[in-house]
Amino acid sequence: MTVIQTAALLDPFIVEVIRHGLSAAAEEMSLVLMRSARSPLLREAGDLSSTITDASGGLVAQGRDIPVHLGAMAYTIRELLKVHPLERFVPGDALIYNLGALGGNHLNDVKVVRPVFVDGVIVAFTLSLAHWPDVGGSWPGSYLATATDTFQEAIRIPPVPIASAAGVNQAVLEMIKVNVRDPVSAEGDLLGQIAATACAERRIQDLCRVYGTDIFLRTIERLHDLSEAEMREAIIGLPDGVFEGEDSLDGDGAGAAGPRIHVRITIAGDEAIFDLSGCCDRLPNFCNTTPFIAASAIIYAARLLSGRDMQQNAGALRPLTIITRPGSVCEPGWDAPVAAGNHETSMRIVDAVIRSMEHVVPHRLAAGGPTTSGLLAFAEPMPGGGWRLLYEVHGGGEGARHDRDGSPATRVHMTNTSNTPTEMLEATYALRVERQAIRRGSGGSGLHRGGDGVVRAYRVLAPKMLLTTCVERMVAPPYGLQGGDVGKTFQIALERNGQVSALPGKANLFLFKGDLVTITTCGGGGYGVAG
Amino acid sequence: MSWLVGTDIGGTFTDIVAVHSGTGDTRTAKVPSRPDAPVDAMLDAIAAIGLQPGDVTRFVHGTTRVTNAIVQDRLPPIALIATAGFEDVLEIGRYRRRDLYNLDIPPKAPPLVPHERCYGLTERLDHHGHVMLAPSEAELGRMVAWVAASGVTSVAVSLLHAYANPAHERLIGERLRRIVPYVSLSHEVNPEAREYERASSTTINAAAMPIAAGYLSELEQRLPLGPGLQVFHSAGGMVSTATAKERPIVMAMSGPAAGVAASVQIARSLGLPRVLTFDMGGTTTDVCLIVDGDAAMTDTRMTGDRPLRQPMLAVHSIGAGGGSIVQQGAGGLSVGPQSAGVEPGPACYGRGGMRATITDANAILGYLDPDAVLGGTVGKGIRVDVAKAHAVVAPIAAVLGLDVVDTALGIIQVANATMARALRRVTVERGVDGRDCALLAFGGGGPMHAAGLADIYGLSDIVIPAASSAFSALGCLTADQSFVQQQTVRLPLAGLCQATLSAHIEALRTTTTAPLLASGSGVGAIRISYVAMMRYEAQSDTTAVPFNLPLDAAALHADFQALHLQLFGYATGEPCVIEGLRVEARVPSSTCIVMTGGGEGHAPQLRRCSFAGARDVETAILSRETLAGIVNGPAIIADAWSTVVVPPGWQAVAEPEGHLRMVRRPA
Repeated sequence: MTVIQTAALLDPFIVEVIRHGLSAAAEEMSLVLMRSARSPLLREAGDLSSTITDASGGLVAQGRDIPVHLGAMAYTIRELLKVHPLERFVPGDALIYNLGALGGNHLNDVKVVRPVFVDGVIVAFTLSLAHWPDVGGSWPGSYLATATDTFQEAIRIPPVPIASAAGVNQAVLEMIKVNVRDPVSAEGDLLGQIAATACAERRIQDLCRVYGTDIFLRTIERLHDLSEAEMREAIIGLPDGVFEGEDSLDGDGAGAAGPRIHVRITIAGDEAIFDLSGCCDRLPNFCNTTPFIAASAIIYAARLLSGRDMQQNAGALRPLTIITRPGSVCEPGWDAPVAAGNHETSMRIVDAVIRSMEHVVPHRLAAGGPTTSGLLAFAEPMPGGGWRLLYEVHGGGEGARHDRDGSPATRVHMTNTSNTPTEMLEATYALRVERQAIRRGSGGSGLHRGGDGVVRAYRVLAPKMLLTTCVERMVAPPYGLQGGDVGKTFQIALERNGQVSALPGKANLFLFKGDLVTITTCGGGGYGVAG
Repeated sequence: MSWLVGTDIGGTFTDIVAVHSGTGDTRTAKVPSRPDAPVDAMLDAIAAIGLQPGDVTRFVHGTTRVTNAIVQDRLPPIALIATAGFEDVLEIGRYRRRDLYNLDIPPKAPPLVPHERCYGLTERLDHHGHVMLAPSEAELGRMVAWVAASGVTSVAVSLLHAYANPAHERLIGERLRRIVPYVSLSHEVNPEAREYERASSTTINAAAMPIAAGYLSELEQRLPLGPGLQVFHSAGGMVSTATAKERPIVMAMSGPAAGVAASVQIARSLGLPRVLTFDMGGTTTDVCLIVDGDAAMTDTRMTGDRPLRQPMLAVHSIGAGGGSIVQQGAGGLSVGPQSAGVEPGPACYGRGGMRATITDANAILGYLDPDAVLGGTVGKGIRVDVAKAHAVVAPIAAVLGLDVVDTALGIIQVANATMARALRRVTVERGVDGRDCALLAFGGGGPMHAAGLADIYGLSDIVIPAASSAFSALGCLTADQSFVQQQTVRLPLAGLCQATLSAHIEALRTTTTAPLLASGSGVGAIRISYVAMMRYEAQSDTTAVPFNLPLDAAALHADFQALHLQLFGYATGEPCVIEGLRVEARVPSSTCIVMTGGGEGHAPQLRRCSFAGARDVETAILSRETLAGIVNGPAIIADAWSTVVVPPGWQAVAEPEGHLRMVRRPA
C-alpha cells in the first residue's frame, strides 16, 4: 500500500480525507450487517446502527442510521471501559452486551464491540448495534407492557467475549441462543454484527498504515475540536436565557393527564444545560429510560436547534450538560424496565425541547408528529415450539414547518425504520393486510398543514397469535406550533366476531383467527394560524 | 456505404462514434446536445462526422432523456389502477426519510400520481396468486368509465400480488387498451414482490411512455433504419425502438450503462479479472465493478425520490465531478454535491463561474492546456483561463493559510477521497477487495484523476481506454442486443417443483427473446443466461447465483452457500428459497473496433505542473496519438478530448489496441 506523503503535519485536507474514510467505514458496517442479517427487522426495516469511537470511547463517526441508537452509542464504550479497562482487550476480541447500565438503551438492542489494534495499541473501537426481534423474557418480542423490573423483560448480557482471534465463542453463542425465541435469526444477526465490526477494523488499520497512526489520532482530536467549535458557535447564535417546555406520555389511557416530561434549558454563552429533573418519577411499566436514552434524545434535539450540519462526534457534545434526576423516569435505577422508553419516552423528550424553543427558533422546528414507534408486534407460535415474529412500526403525518406542510406517512426524529411491504408480510406471516391507506384530513390545520397519518388493517389467519402494542400519541395529540392546530391521535381497534373494541397503546394480548386489528396513525400538527 | 453509429446523448454534449463495416475506418465527434430537439441533435451529430442519414445502417443511442424527465418531474399526467384499499401505495411509500438531523429539507416528494387519479379496483389475489376475489364486470365497467372521464392518455395498473398471477391485470389491460394509447401493467414492467417499488416502477414507465413514443417515432421517421435503429438500455445491451417505447424505463441508465458495457469488452479483451470503472464527468461520477468479465447487476435505483426497480448494471453515481464546487465549512473542506453545472461552469472556463471547482484546481496545477479549445465546435469552444482559477481558489487558500498550489493539491486529494468512497461502496457490496482491481478511467475527468485516486485507494493498475471521452458512445456501437427480466417465484429449493420452475423459465424465455426475435435475430443466435435470486428461508434479501439448464438443485445450493460465505463471511444449513429468477437473452455483437489514432499529434512540449510532493516541475506534454514506449511521470498525455495525468512515480505505456496502461514506476 502506498504511504501518502504529507507536506504539512496536519493539513486540513488530510483531516477531510480521514473523515471520509471513517464515515465510509461506519456506513460500510451497516451495509455489511443489513446485507447479511437474518431478521426482517434488520434487513427490511434497517433497525441497526454503527459507530466508530476513539480509544476512550468518544464517538468519532457514525452511519446514517437511527438517531436514538447513535446518541446512546456515544456512551456505550465509555461506560464499558469503566468495567472492562483497555488493558484487558487483546487483538481479535469482540465483546457482546446489552446491559442498560453500560451505555445501553433497551435489552433488544444488542451491541458488539471490537477494539482496533495498530502496533499493539488500541486506536479506536468499532461498535455494531442491532435490534434483535426477540431477546427472551416473559413475552415473545421482549416487550412486556406490565413489566415491573428489567429481569422480566429479557436476557441480560454482560460484556463477554463473543469472538476472539480463534473465532466465534460457541459457549457464549449457545448460552444466548437457548434464551431467545428465534435462535436462528439471533445467530445470523450476531454473525453479521461480528463481521461488520471486523470490516471497519480493517478500514481503520488501513487508514493508520497509509497516513500514520500519529496523524490518524491527531485527526480524531481535530475532528472533535471542529465539531465542538461548530456546536459552540451554534449555541452562541441562540439567545441566552432559561427556556422550559413539557409534554406528556399517554399514561394509562384513561384520559387523566399522563406522566410529565419536562425540560429546562439554560443557554449561557457557548454552553447549554438540559435539565430533565422536572420529569415524572420512575413509572411502574416499561416506559422508563436509561440516562443514556435521555441523553440521546437531548443530543438529537441539540443538533436540531443548532440548525447546522456537522460531523456528529464526542466534540459536539462537549458544550452540552445533561442532567437527569435519580429516581425519575430518566434515571430510574438499573432494575427498571425500559423496553418502550427507548423509543417512546425519548421521543417525548425531543417534543419537550421543541416546545421549549417554540418562540426562540421556530423556523428550525417542526410541529408535533408521530413521535412513537407505533409498534404492533405479532408473534405466531410455530409447530415445534418456536415463534415467528413480526415487529411492525407505523409512521404518521409529520408536523408542519414554518415554510411548508408536513409530509404524510413518515417516521420522524429519533427513528427512521421502514414498514414491511404487504406482499412480503403476507408471504411470511399468517396475516392478511386488508387495507393500507392515507388517513385523509388527519393533519392539523394552520398556515401550513400537518401531514396525514395512515390506516393499516391486519386480519389474523393463524388459530392463535400474540400481539404487543407499544404506541403513544393516543391521548396527548401531536401539538401545533405558532397557533397551528393539533393533529389527530393514534387509535388501535380490534374487531372480533363483529364487535369492535379499542385497544390500549401498551398491551400484551392474545389474538384469534378472524380477528382484525386496525391501526390508525396520527396526523402532524399544523404551523401558524390559517390565513 | 455502410456505417455503424453509436451516440451518447448527455445533458451537455452528444458524443458520436462511427465505424465503417467494410474498412473498419472510425470517425468521432462531439456536438452540443439539444434537449428541446433531441432528434435534430442526433442528425447534427451524424452530419458532424461527414455522413448522411443514408450512409448509416445501424444507429444505437444512449440518452438521459427519460431520466431527466423523471428527476425534473416533467412527466405527463397518468392514472393508476390499484387494488381497492391500496390505492395510496405511492403516497405511503416506505416511511423512511432522507436526512436524520435536518428538518430543513424538501418534504417527501408528492406521489407521481395524485390521489384523485388513483382508482381502487375491487379484486384480490393472495401471495400464491390464488384468486380471492375476481373483479366483477360491473367493477371493470366503472373503472373504464372513470379512466375515460379522467382524460389521461397513459394508465399504470399495479395490483397486489400481480407478480404471482397476471390474470387480473391482463383483463384490465385489455379493457384499457380500447380507450387509451398507453397502458403499463406491473406484471410486465416489473414482476417482483414489494408493492411500492413495483407500483413506482410501473407508474414511472407509464409516465415515460408518451415522452419516449414522441421522440422515438420522430427518429424512426427521419432515420428509417428498421431494425438497425436501436436504443441502449440500463442492463448493458440494446433493444429496438419498438421495445423501448413499450418499456421506456429500460433507458433510465442507458448512458452510464453504455460506458460500463464498453469497459466489459476491454476487461475481457485484456483478460483483467477485476475492474473498477471510473467515469468522471462534469457533475457526476459513475463507478461500477466488473468481475470475470461481467458487470455487477442491481435491481433498484432511486430516480429523484422514487424507486425504479428493474435489472440493471450496478452503476453507483455520486454527485461529484469536474464542476463540483469546493465548500469550506467548520466541519472541514468538501467538494460537491453542489455543482457549477454547464452554466456557468468552472471559473476557469470564463463563463461567469465565481466559485472554485475541481476543474479550477486542475487548471492551477497545470493539467489543462491553456491553448486548447474544449468542446471543439466553432464559436462554442471554451479556452481555459488559469488566472480565473487562481482568483477563486485564492480566498480559500487565504483562510487555510496555505498558498494556492497547495490548496489546489488539497482540493484534488479531497475530491479523490470522495471518489474513493464510491469505489469502496461498490466493492463492499460484492465482497471484493477493491485494491485487487484494475481501474478503468474514462469520461472527461477520469484519466486526470486516476493516478491520484489509485494512490489514495491503494490500486496499482490503471487502464485509460482508447476514445476515453466518447466511451459511452463507443459502448453503444459495440453493444450486444439483449433483454432482461426478473420475476418473483418463491420456490423452496428442497423438493423443488421442476414443473413449476420450467413453466416460469419458459415464460421468461419468451418474454426476453421476443424483442430480439422481433428485431430480426435468429433463434440460434440468442444466448440465454439464468440467475437464481437465492435466500435462506428466514432472509429477505437475496444473492444472485448463476445456473445452467437443466437445473441441478444440489449444485445451485452449493453455489449459493459458497457465494454467501464469500459475500457475508458465513453460510448455514438452513433451507433455501429461490425467491426470483433473472433471465437474460443476448445476441453477442460481432462489432469489434480498434480506435486508431485519428489526429496527427504534436511534438512534445513542456509546461510547469504541480503534483503531490513535487511542486512546479517541468513536465512533458505528450500527444496521445504519437505516443510510443514507456512514459515516466511526471507527464501529461493529451488528445483532443481528454487529459491523462501521469504523476511522478507512475509510468504509462501505450498498448497495441490504443489503450494506455499506467502502473507505478519500479523503484
